[in-house]
Amino acid sequence: MEFLAFLVTQCLNALSQAALLFFLGCGLTLIFGIMRIVNFAHGAFFMLGAYVGYSTVHWTGSFWIALIVAPILVGGFGAAFELGILRRLYGRDGHAFLMVTFGLTLIMGEVIRLIWGVEALQVKPPAGLSDIVFILDEPFPVYRLFLVGSGIVVALLIWQFLERTRLGLLIRATSQNAEMVYALGTDVRLVRSAVFGIGCGLAGIGGVMAAPLVTASLGMAPNAVIDTFVIVIIGGMGSFAGSLIGAILVAFVQVFGTYYFPDFALAFMYLIMVTVLVVRPGGLLGKEA
Amino acid sequence: MRFAIAAAALLALLPFGLPLYAMTLLTEALILGLFAMSLDLMVGYARLISFGHAAAYGFGAYACGNFLLHTTMPLPFAVLLAGVLGGIVAIGVGWVCTQATGVSFSMLTLAYAQLLYAVAFKWTPVTGASDGLAGIPRNPGPFGVTWWSTHAGFYYLALAFLLGAFVFCHALVRSPFGAVLRGIRENEAKTIALGYNTRRYKIAIVAISFGLAGMAGALYAPFAGFANTELLFWLLSGQVLIMVIVGGAGTLIGPVLGAMFFLYVQQKLSSYTDSWALFFGVIFILFVLFLPEGIWGLVLSRFKQKPV
Repeated sequence: MEFLAFLVTQCLNALSQAALLFFLGCGLTLIFGIMRIVNFAHGAFFMLGAYVGYSTVHWTGSFWIALIVAPILVGGFGAAFELGILRRLYGRDGHAFLMVTFGLTLIMGEVIRLIWGVEALQVKPPAGLSDIVFILDEPFPVYRLFLVGSGIVVALLIWQFLERTRLGLLIRATSQNAEMVYALGTDVRLVRSAVFGIGCGLAGIGGVMAAPLVTASLGMAPNAVIDTFVIVIIGGMGSFAGSLIGAILVAFVQVFGTYYFPDFALAFMYLIMVTVLVVRPGGLLGKEA
Repeated sequence: MRFAIAAAALLALLPFGLPLYAMTLLTEALILGLFAMSLDLMVGYARLISFGHAAAYGFGAYACGNFLLHTTMPLPFAVLLAGVLGGIVAIGVGWVCTQATGVSFSMLTLAYAQLLYAVAFKWTPVTGASDGLAGIPRNPGPFGVTWWSTHAGFYYLALAFLLGAFVFCHALVRSPFGAVLRGIRENEAKTIALGYNTRRYKIAIVAISFGLAGMAGALYAPFAGFANTELLFWLLSGQVLIMVIVGGAGTLIGPVLGAMFFLYVQQKLSSYTDSWALFFGVIFILFVLFLPEGIWGLVLSRFKQKPV
């Protein structure tokens, strides 16, 4: 019974971790799928989300407002960056994007340090979510259950958004044949700006959600960006379902690996990635090698 | 090549006119120049963007640090051996990473570097964990040869390694091997269709590039007297990529200039502000946007426009 309780709580732990990773991974894979851009600054947008979330909670006292404000601000900033800078690079090879977004990562890291300082900032979970419930007599934080729930909700929302809405249709069409969509009278450039904004906004939501769990700190960006890339590479670049599978896989490896083999947890994650790439160079659900 | 000879002569004479502080900085620039040049072999000639080049640099630094601390191996020999060892290990790394192409390749090299970074924190007997290796000596050679233990001497040692590497790389990129690399850069499918096993060429260039980067790291360890996990951190991988792009990828000389430019601007900016990384980000983005051929690429194109 004790083992069962342990297993259940650890699985829930892993699922809550997977939810956070999924917010990052699906944004990155969406951007890659439509724009062929590898957004190295994705971790920085995640970090910005956490800091904006901190300030919003600080001023308004409401975590829920932060959950709305942060993705709008972060997504808006992302869309503006696409309009101002990235747009000039279409037609250049993919590495130009990698490098420009690396430059943006440096800039955002410094600006965040100048505004918020080097101290890690604690964000309190909203009232009602800071409690602990007992699952099979094991204590478990409610906030993590909330993460699992919101992960499921957001995954369903994005799926429905891509399948059922006009913009979702345009996004899917653009990822398959941008020229044809353009020829049929849609401004593909606007679709791209929107997708980049949405992807960054998702990273922003992830940042706010992660803040009560891990505090907002300057180390968030590099850790997040590497985990995210691992997920997306495992799942297959550009595959929405792949990012979900990758997030769950990586989260389980992280949680159980840290418990059983604390010294090798990180190595496991990379080993899985390498194995996937050797067997299926395009990732589990990826199309191209 | 004529420029390279002139530059080498200038660099050889510089220690006579420079204060100690400037010479130390220049020595570091030469080491970073070697590091950037090694990355240019991959980035500029085969369009293989390594985002984990710090792995090779840190590997070389730790390997050389251990040789110098635990054996009586002469310094130049330890540097060479560390580089060769790094190159051999990189054959395996190259085999794995070249499974993927394009951006996935970059991310695999990054993952490899992060893996080494994680290992360096745990493998205390070899890496000293978070303390790193301190007090790395500049071991003398046989018959009491110690000229590299002085500031000027070490400068010349670094210069010798840089020039040696340049002559080697210069010959390499002009050889038939280099021609295949450029073929991979321009059109890999066509190169395969011409009958070349491009994967082998890619693995070979990864090994050579990582080996040279290992030598750069191996020089850094006795230069600074320490080796720590910072040398394996992804930020360094990004910085060396900046040096290559800003200097001019695919020119060998450009990345060395890029390294000097980087170090110089970093020194200047950090005396005014803590936020030098902010300005670097801006400079880097501007270079990618408006001057993708880099400093040296710009100079070269100017020369070509004016026929003599």
